[in-house]
Amino acid sequence: MKESVRVRAFARFRELFGGTIEMDLPWPATVRSVIRELEKINPAGLAELVDNEGNLKKSVILMINRERIMGPAREDCPLRPGDEIAFYPPVAGG
Amino acid sequence: MTGERWPLTPRERERYERQIPLLGEEGQERLLHSSVCIAGAGGLGSPVAFYLAAAGIGRIRIIDSDRVSRSNLNRQIIHAEADIGRSKVDSAARRLEALNPDIEVDPRPLHLTEENVVNVVRGMNLVVDALDNYPARYILNRAACMHTVPLVHAAVNGYCGQVMAIIPRKTACLQCAIPHPPEETPPPVLGTTAGILGCIQANEAIRILLGEGTVMGDALHVWDGRAGTWDMIPVKRDPACRACGAGGKG
Ligand SMILES: [Zn+2]
Repeated sequence: MKESVRVRAFARFRELFGGTIEMDLPWPATVRSVIRELEKINPAGLAELVDNEGNLKKSVILMINRERIMGPAREDCPLRPGDEIAFYPPVAGG
Repeated sequence: MTGERWPLTPRERERYERQIPLLGEEGQERLLHSSVCIAGAGGLGSPVAFYLAAAGIGRIRIIDSDRVSRSNLNRQIIHAEADIGRSKVDSAARRLEALNPDIEVDPRPLHLTEENVVNVVRGMNLVVDALDNYPARYILNRAACMHTVPLVHAAVNGYCGQVMAIIPRKTACLQCAIPHPPEETPPPVLGTTAGILGCIQANEAIRILLGEGTVMGDALHVWDGRAGTWDMIPVKRDPACRACGAGGKG
């Protein structure tokens, strides 16, 4: 079974993966399923989103339905059909 | 506020003639009696300093430990070719005094540390984060929270940037928003990106100084100069925050 979610990538992630992506995911799905799909879109770009273990980089902001998801196991957060998952990499320059 | 008035001089009335209808004479007087610290005289600090000086912020303290190099000049528009080798704060102070000799500029060629940040922030009505690294930003943010001084943060990378206003005890602080800093590699930056974000910082600074508040609290406002979009990343105050919450005590 598949269900769809909407993924929004901001700033640098928009350049790497596209701005708004309608995604069909094998169900049940977690944030990890989204990361796997993003890898298909841009395998090289994935290194900016995840660390060597395949977890989201700590600095990356993750939101589901505009609610910030914090904590160590946020990649395992389960999704519901129609969820909006957003990624933003804070910037540092001045 | 005591409701005290400081009447404008004829020269000030003329200089600020086009914005007084917007701010009122009282608003202009308020700006002229405000002190703002700009931390960083680089890409963001340049437009922030120019616009705050032009608007008549009475006292501008500007902090930076660097010297001007040629590779700064694509974005750090307060400095010029002839300033290469000069301390950035001295270069900035000259330019600001040329723009508006009626305000006081206080250049401080120092590197922000836990030890000196108190003296930098104390007595200021507002602080602007125009820094280029998170360790220094966190030091500034914590001091602003501790001394209840409003802080306007921004950061840039390439065509993108983020801005957020922090009103201590009311809104989320920088560390609530970004508890884990991104990696520090000198990012590519276009001058216009720093210009856009810096102008917004100056705009919010002026509105906060006027007592109008800010619409940039409790969210990172994210500019994407390729897509031409603004997005909002909502942020909540973290009760356990190490800078503004319980995590910083004891
Ligand atoms: Zn905080």
